Amino acid sequence: MADVTLYHWEPNANSGKPMLALMEKGVPFESHYINMLEFDQHKPDYLAINPQGTIPAMTHGDRVLTESTAIMEYVNEEFDGPALMPANAQDRWRIRWWMKFMDQWLGPSFSMIGWSTFVGPMVRDKPKEELEALIERIPLPERRRAWRKAMFGQFGEEELAESKRRVKFGVARLEEELGKRDYVGSNHYSLADINIFNSTYSLPMSHPDVASKDATPNIMRWLKAVYLRPAVQQTWAMGKTDLAHRYSLIMEDI
Amino acid sequence: MAEDILYHGEPNGPSLSVLAALAESGLDIECRHIDLLKGARHTLHDAQETLASDMAVEGEGPILLKDGETMSEAVFLAQYFDEAAGSCGLQPKDAYLHWEMMMWCRQVNERLSPAVAYLGNLACSQAPIAALAEEEFAAITRSIFSDDLRQRWQDLRDDVVDAARREDSEAKVRQFVQRVEDKLADGRVWLMGDFSIADLETFAWLRPMTELEADAFTSAPLCRSWMDRLEQRPCVQSALAKAVTENPKRAFAPGPEINRWG
Repeated sequence: MADVTLYHWEPNANSGKPMLALMEKGVPFESHYINMLEFDQHKPDYLAINPQGTIPAMTHGDRVLTESTAIMEYVNEEFDGPALMPANAQDRWRIRWWMKFMDQWLGPSFSMIGWSTFVGPMVRDKPKEELEALIERIPLPERRRAWRKAMFGQFGEEELAESKRRVKFGVARLEEELGKRDYVGSNHYSLADINIFNSTYSLPMSHPDVASKDATPNIMRWLKAVYLRPAVQQTWAMGKTDLAHRYSLIMEDI
Repeated sequence: MAEDILYHGEPNGPSLSVLAALAESGLDIECRHIDLLKGARHTLHDAQETLASDMAVEGEGPILLKDGETMSEAVFLAQYFDEAAGSCGLQPKDAYLHWEMMMWCRQVNERLSPAVAYLGNLACSQAPIAALAEEEFAAITRSIFSDDLRQRWQDLRDDVVDAARREDSEAKVRQFVQRVEDKLADGRVWLMGDFSIADLETFAWLRPMTELEADAFTSAPLCRSWMDRLEQRPCVQSALAKAVTENPKRAFAPGPEINRWG
């Protein structure tokens, strides 16, 4: 079976995961850029691929795959190329643990902060009626609530404070982990690194108070090692905003 | 090196799926029953690397202690058993079916388990937690590393009930029962075709709901038959035989949190 198509936004967070996994495996794929800030993910063309309206999604022949972390496991198992999961069962468990910790505990906090400071202000200048119509089109009720908060700036102080607490706390745990092992969850570069790198590469710029050369030397050592991988450079070259470019300047300074 | 030990609660929710997965794998690992509602999981003897139990996303679930490291999260423990046993058939070999199993389990853990845990804890563990002596409760909360898990214990003790969350949780249980019903509509015996971790994990969280949210199952005959098949499966029987209370369907302890963000 050939023909992989990936529907993705910037090489960042969830979209960045399957992009980088495919690059690492050397799997050629057709790229469909879905502009999240123009709400492409809720337009009929994309909903025909993924009715839930979440990105990324991947097609492989007539198969349609969603959920970025599960897509990465599929990419690793289905295609030839370097193994992105080690053989040891306890290492594999630890890698999956870290990915869940990121996907379900730490990641949502990064996301909430990112949406309140970046995504919200980027889309807020449209007329209210237009924003309401855009919300109406979103299939999942949870996503409708999230977009409403972002568009109208309805984040509560308490929930933002809790997200900031989790970022600080989670980053400290990651620093400890990378003091024990070369990579996240094992001594091998794996899906956990791809997952967590895509949500943390910007930390030295976005949260210099929690991640820096002095405060988190292990994270900085690891970020640099991942950043220097050719697959990361190729993936970042696919970005259409200056997101990746801005961070590459930071990385060069590490 | 110390022997591996599986610390588990009553066979309900994550303890049920992990005990059944262990039985299915045939691995010889010692099982020790602990009282999750006494916070026993936070003070395990010989635990040195404890991040996975300290920060378990699924809350108060079973822990495998291996070489001093606490291993948590029911689905990943089941995958671990399968892989450590040299592939015992708990995971599809085909990459696409494997993706589907992991995607399904992720949605169980993100949607169904927080809903069941919310309803189950309000119905079954709120009163026992509220009845603990001040000193005993303080000792439990002192032993809990995670601020948000500790808060879920405190909310139960203080009888904090959010009507919208309760309603949303009831809706999520109904939706998941329907999802199982739809999946089985093509006549398949198990959710992924062949038996897998998806069956165990989904069953383990739905089983207590047959008492607490019985109405959710009334128009789901395929789901009910599938649950009967699971109930009879030897690995599930072996897990249920580890119960020390009369009705493990009512055994809950603070579980996974409800999604904070989209």
